[in-house]
Amino acid sequence: MGRLKTITRRTFLIGSVAVAGGVAFGAYTVAKPHDNPLLTGLGDGEAAITPYVRIDAEGVTLITPRADLGQGAYSVQAALIAEELDVELDQIRVDPGPPSPAYWNTAFADEAAAFMAPGGGLGESLAYGAISAAIKTFGVQITGGSTTVPDGFVKLREAGAVARETLKLAAAEKSGIAITDLRTEAGRVLLPDGTELSYAELAPLAARITPPQDVPLRDPSGWRLIGKPMQRIDIVAKSTGAMKYGIDIAVEGMLHAAIVLNPAQGGALNGFDATEALKMRGVSDVVEVTGGVAVVADNTWRAFEAARKISFDWGPAAFPATMDEHWQALADSFTEELRDSRVRDDGNVEFAFAEMPGLIKAEYRAPYLAHAPLEPISAIVRVDDDRAEVWTGTQIPRFVQSNVARLAGLDTERVKVNVLVMGGSFGHRLEDEVVKRATEVALLFRGTPIKLTYSREQDMTHDFPRQIAMARMRGTVRNGQVDSYELGIAMPSVIASQMGRQSLPGTGPDSQIVAGAWDQPFAIPNHRVTGYRARELAPISSWRSVGASSNGFFYNLGLDELIHAAGADPMAERIRLCSNDEARKVLETVAEMSNWGSDAGEGRGRGVAFTRSFGVECAMVVEVAATEGGIRIEKVFVAAEVGTVIDPVNFDNLVKGGVIFGLGHAMNCEITYTDGIADQDNYHAFEGMRMYQCPEIEVRGLENGERVRGIGEPPVPPTAPALAGAIFAATGKRLREMPFNKHVDFV
Amino acid sequence: MIRSRLIAAAFLLGVVTAGPVVAQDVATGEAEAPPAPPPSVEEGLAGWQLFYEVASHPRCANCHTGADNWPMWSGPSYGKPQRHGMNINAGDSRVGAEALVCSTCHVTLSAADGGPDPLPHAAPRAATPWMLAPVETEWFGKSSAEICAQVKDPARNGERTIEEVIAHVEEGAFQTWAWNPGGGREPAPHSKQEAIDALSTWAAAGTPCPEE
Amino acid sequence: MRLTVNGQTHEVDVEPEMPLLWVLRDELGITGVKYGCGIAQCGACTVHVDGAAVRSCQLPVGELTGEVTTIEGLGQPGALHAVQQAWIEHQVAQCGYCQSGQIMAAAAFLALNPEPTDQDIDAVMSANLCRCGTYPRIRAAIKSAAATMRSA
Repeated sequence: MGRLKTITRRTFLIGSVAVAGGVAFGAYTVAKPHDNPLLTGLGDGEAAITPYVRIDAEGVTLITPRADLGQGAYSVQAALIAEELDVELDQIRVDPGPPSPAYWNTAFADEAAAFMAPGGGLGESLAYGAISAAIKTFGVQITGGSTTVPDGFVKLREAGAVARETLKLAAAEKSGIAITDLRTEAGRVLLPDGTELSYAELAPLAARITPPQDVPLRDPSGWRLIGKPMQRIDIVAKSTGAMKYGIDIAVEGMLHAAIVLNPAQGGALNGFDATEALKMRGVSDVVEVTGGVAVVADNTWRAFEAARKISFDWGPAAFPATMDEHWQALADSFTEELRDSRVRDDGNVEFAFAEMPGLIKAEYRAPYLAHAPLEPISAIVRVDDDRAEVWTGTQIPRFVQSNVARLAGLDTERVKVNVLVMGGSFGHRLEDEVVKRATEVALLFRGTPIKLTYSREQDMTHDFPRQIAMARMRGTVRNGQVDSYELGIAMPSVIASQMGRQSLPGTGPDSQIVAGAWDQPFAIPNHRVTGYRARELAPISSWRSVGASSNGFFYNLGLDELIHAAGADPMAERIRLCSNDEARKVLETVAEMSNWGSDAGEGRGRGVAFTRSFGVECAMVVEVAATEGGIRIEKVFVAAEVGTVIDPVNFDNLVKGGVIFGLGHAMNCEITYTDGIADQDNYHAFEGMRMYQCPEIEVRGLENGERVRGIGEPPVPPTAPALAGAIFAATGKRLREMPFNKHVDFV
Repeated sequence: MIRSRLIAAAFLLGVVTAGPVVAQDVATGEAEAPPAPPPSVEEGLAGWQLFYEVASHPRCANCHTGADNWPMWSGPSYGKPQRHGMNINAGDSRVGAEALVCSTCHVTLSAADGGPDPLPHAAPRAATPWMLAPVETEWFGKSSAEICAQVKDPARNGERTIEEVIAHVEEGAFQTWAWNPGGGREPAPHSKQEAIDALSTWAAAGTPCPEE
Repeated sequence: MRLTVNGQTHEVDVEPEMPLLWVLRDELGITGVKYGCGIAQCGACTVHVDGAAVRSCQLPVGELTGEVTTIEGLGQPGALHAVQQAWIEHQVAQCGYCQSGQIMAAAAFLALNPEPTDQDIDAVMSANLCRCGTYPRIRAAIKSAAATMRSA
């Protein structure tokens, strides 16, 4: 299994524990600080069993530690367990599980470790600094960074396998038949004479048996579920209105709250007049919370309406008031003093620039972007004297738990967090401000559950958006080839901003400033990628594919300009420059899929882009037509190397979704600030892609590696540059900033 | 008052024949006042100019669009005029019957002043089913001269007399909405009364139209 | 105030200005209908009023004239509407939050136009926003549902 196997082997064993009426199997976390510095944070009592499978009189319940934001995580995790446990997906229930420190997300830390590793680049080694320590802490049971599949691929199958073998041992003990004569199928152990023993009836006995270790995992050739199209376990509920999302949950006796935060984000509340609001029907109170006020009423709409009737005296934003100042701050960041990392420094770009005439230079921009999942954020919090309970859709349940505990003055274990189904996230639910604000209100209404629902406008204007970023490219060409390519990228640190809100340190190099650029598999003779850390501007957060979302655009755009200057073909030159087989294969695959090189036709053009992010090589060709009304995106071809595709249907859906997400934002989305206030507050001004603009998308997953990777994020970074390349091919217009509708119309 | 001034002027100009309404006005004795001199062509043009400012405003022009049946989005909220989002086309029916009827989002109120102040950027609503104006009344992007010619052309104004045109501005549910759109939307300029007065002056001056 | 939802009559004591969306969700506990934008931009709140698709976030309940059908009333497991069946077959949903509205919009549309072209589908369904990007599957599911409904 290579490296991933080694790491997971070192970090957990599968154990079991008796539970009421049955048994639970899970990872027994072993702290080995000398072997893996990422485990040093484990304290006593944290090396406890973390259940993945519970079998009791109710049947089989799979406990899926990674939240489902819409990416099908519950189904994929269930399939991994069920593959080895020999249960059918329709026989089982799924429980998102409680927040627990033992649900290590090892893959998330793995991603950071590659950047942090000395020798990861030729230029300099990066110290194991505070940022990596923060990622370690943050990496505990977060759902993010497309890590659900890589993290669970071994762990969850092993949990299933160990549980199966333990149940067989129990059946052997009960029946007196040798374990080698027993088979398992569909939630039962089958005896040679055809007798069936259900897992549920064996569970109490299994609880007393020490689970065997090192149960071999099944060979991929024998997989029943993995790699086959499966029906998502939530698909019926999501097609009949039965699925309860966080915003749909009602708790007995709850009151509803709406919030109005200073539109100039982070600014002070100097005063407010709620006289009118307090007179309105159903309104209980208007209370001050951090950064604004909350209206408490007897239903959501009355709270929203009352919130509109409050007048405020707001202080200014905690960051520059105008976009000019934000861009200027980035422009001023390309200095030695603000240099954050230079992990990639091949050959000698300075020498190459001096040697060859015709230095090519360009500057690129990527705007702030809201996450704007369709379900606005909400949380229910109930605080009692000795305990608190939270109901919310979150990717960071442990932070939620500790933040509520801190605000309520309770011990962490006195706070129960119920993780609810989420109507999208894209990184939005890696923040927990809504829970903190709801807790502030709940503290004033002790014993009463408070459900705080953000209006769309509050949600969008108080999002912590994707980073704003600027890049500067310089390069030269020689004999029709790219000879030197220097890319400097300036942005504020996403990780520092995000960690700061969790009171975690955020110093040291930030891998996200250069993610999707420093580690691209292209052997350009003279190649340098430098990250510059701009000062904090608007507060920012992780947005689907994080640093790579802007840097994939910058990197490919710079490469395109150089390839064009060299007179080379964007596809052929990328393939020629490839320094690894996976990258070459995905590029060759999209070339073939798109019939690259054939005549695109009058007024039409194709663009290609490639980004390696989250361990996935992803290549894309976009084909556009320049029509009278504007650019029409007609076709997209995507190839991605993910090692193993767990569910081809979900894979196809996620890749297409990533393409549409990337195209939509590249076309028409940005968050801008005027007087420190976000100009876009709802979808009319932040539209994304609509169905009539949606191209035909053809997806191919390559499965050449032993590794397994998530696909939620990797399709996003190459999308915008492939579109820009296509527009250039069709019109000769080089777009160097997003959103593109500043310069071209789309139809 | 306005109407009587128009009618008095019309009398003098001989552009309308006396009808029951006029007779009634006469009977109330208002005609006894010394007849005001008719507005000059310049005054008429000034009246038209004011109305043109109304007609070309986004509150009116966005839905007075041409045969391609695209409602428009323009005005202070939009950087540049654009088609109504969401690929909305009202079809030849002008009410969206071919695909998505306007009333899917645009509520038909039971009273002109019904409902609370809508949220900013919500679908505007009026006390009549939402629709595009008839295709002959295309105003969006048209010049003052073009709109002027259209407004007084019975073949293109719903076979209305000028008086009926003015009554339409006075009584129509969309016109009521245009000056009171709510939701923070910029209302049509001037006021409904000023628009009616201006049209009346224009009519009394013989409906002069500006040169192209 | 009295309203009929999914064949059941309910008495509610609310302001006539309250949008139907919030009456359904907060007063009647019918949560298949979703709040996404509140301004008719996303379509997640789409219900049927006498069979016609309506954005329930825009409709003051006092202006309601007709019977309301929500996704729950369109079909249930065991008695699914053809559109829901197609949505399941094509595994349309990712997060699924917009899908109640998408399904309600598609069902009303197919009742009027049983043989939609791609252009027809784009004309109607572009008013429903999906942030996850499930549009290709929505298109395919609508075509399947149309075929099923025609052969039924």
